[in-house]
Amino acid sequence: MSSQAHYREAHPLVFVITHWINLICMIMLAFSGFYIHYPFFDGFMGVARGMHFVAMFVILINLTFRVIAAFFVKTATDLGSREVDTDIKNWLPQEKNKHQFFETVKYYLFLRKEGVISAKYGSLQKISYLATVPLTYLMAYTGFALYGPTADWGFFMWGTELVGGPMNMRIIHYFMMWVFILFTMVHAYLANIYNFAPSKIIFLWKETEH
Amino acid sequence: MAQEAHGAIYDLLAVRGVSRRDFMKYCGYVAATLGLSEAAAPQIAAAVEKGAKLKPALWLNGGSCTGCTESMAQVDTPDVATIVLELLSLNYFETIMAAAGEQAEKNIADTIAAGNYLLIYEGAVMMGEDGNTLLVNGHKGKDILEEAAAGAQAILAVGACAVDGGWIYAHPNPAGGIGVQSFLDSVKVATPVVNLPCCPTSPEWVVAMVVQWLLVAGDDPAVFLEKTALLEKKYHDNYRDADVSLLYPEYIVGSTIHDNCPRRGHFENGEFVTEFGSEEEAKGYCLYKVGCKGPQTYTQCPVTRWNRSVSWCVNSGAPCIGCGGLNWVDNNAPFFKRLSSIQMGGSLGNVQPGSVGAVVGGVAAAALVAHGLGMKAAGRIGDGPPIEEMKAYDRKRMAKGGDK
Repeated sequence: MSSQAHYREAHPLVFVITHWINLICMIMLAFSGFYIHYPFFDGFMGVARGMHFVAMFVILINLTFRVIAAFFVKTATDLGSREVDTDIKNWLPQEKNKHQFFETVKYYLFLRKEGVISAKYGSLQKISYLATVPLTYLMAYTGFALYGPTADWGFFMWGTELVGGPMNMRIIHYFMMWVFILFTMVHAYLANIYNFAPSKIIFLWKETEH
Repeated sequence: MAQEAHGAIYDLLAVRGVSRRDFMKYCGYVAATLGLSEAAAPQIAAAVEKGAKLKPALWLNGGSCTGCTESMAQVDTPDVATIVLELLSLNYFETIMAAAGEQAEKNIADTIAAGNYLLIYEGAVMMGEDGNTLLVNGHKGKDILEEAAAGAQAILAVGACAVDGGWIYAHPNPAGGIGVQSFLDSVKVATPVVNLPCCPTSPEWVVAMVVQWLLVAGDDPAVFLEKTALLEKKYHDNYRDADVSLLYPEYIVGSTIHDNCPRRGHFENGEFVTEFGSEEEAKGYCLYKVGCKGPQTYTQCPVTRWNRSVSWCVNSGAPCIGCGGLNWVDNNAPFFKRLSSIQMGGSLGNVQPGSVGAVVGGVAAAALVAHGLGMKAAGRIGDGPPIEEMKAYDRKRMAKGGDK
């Protein structure tokens, strides 16, 4: 697994940048979101809301760009390889991950000793990364349903009525933030549990051999 | 007073410096400028009876605390006596009518028989125990409503209880309180219902609707529905397990309390009241942190205000408790917390979303630390574990003899 080399082909510069944008926006969104949820110091509400809206638009554009780019940018599909293919291949079912989902779960539950064979993204990893795409859009939807200028649009009103009113929508929006926080915690943990080579490549674009 | 006893209604108003035209205009906008003394009511009645056309109306109380009636007694212009006597002939109005006993009940029957009347309904429709949770003169409240509603030209559902059951509808709702529209759906009565929210409802809104009906719509239900800007809101009635669509006057529920709040500037500045009785409260800072539900409550309370437009909840230092919303108690309790609690049931009781988040986050962090220690103990840290030579699936298949 992490005994592999980490080459730039795994994460081309454009995706290093989108990842940075995601991280910064997520931190801004979570921080300003917590503040809007309960202002824990004075004098920041106007800024917090502005920050929340700007970071939201940036992350939505960034995400949409990232999804489209997957069809055009070439990346490595295997660990420790410089061989590239269209990035979307990483997000579709891959031969190397076949039959490996439960083996991966077993591995992380210490029910087996050896690491599992996998593509660049293991099956568990791939599913959770993919889930963030609809989750982010859904998060934006719940946010727009609360946001004054858009709350009364039929498209958002429909959802507000579905969940039983704006208070429930607010609570859902709040809980979904925790989903993102949990994802980030687990993501950062699993990515760096063996060593920090994965962080060096995704943040600093620095290759490591072995 | 002699002059009032003999004059027409506009003469009476002129005595107070208001022309009839101005007066009607004011009613249309529910402006608040002038209070007529109720002591003048009998004289007004005498004057009005000579010429003015009275619109027959019934004011029925369902499962209610009579708070909306109390609220009506605070109406500014025209005052309650004026509405009763000049605009509406309220043939039945439990709290203020002179008739009692059989005569009062007969007034309902006579009004229904004569037709062409408005129905104002206050309080929840009580469905519990097959409708026996509300009995009036031996009749079920819901049956009285059904009969009165079927013959009415239109219905004003006044107050949160009449809208969707209000606080009576709140979990666990043992009395089976539901809203007027929901009830009429269940008995298939199609009379149009206009909902006026809040606990209690604002008297100015009731007057505005009556004025709209009589002056703008010319007593015609079709014109009323066409000329009144109405907003449709849907909710799910948990008691009946049915979707209900409500009609509201748009100008009453079109924007949030937060949008029009006089403390909004402090909100944007990030100036908050953290506890009651503090210096911040004295300065009139924003009540957001002490549970104000203004941001998700759609009424125009800050515009009309209450008690003859003197003040309203937030103005007087109390956070909005969201009584203008649907299922407002369940959705807004506890009133002094930012978010409503989640009803977990059983011994867990009601839990704040913030506590849930903190527990989930804490457990996850602890689990990751424990897992990390496990990874270290398993010797996986550093280069990671040795990778299998072959997938477990393939190994098993090989053991079985491989592909045919």
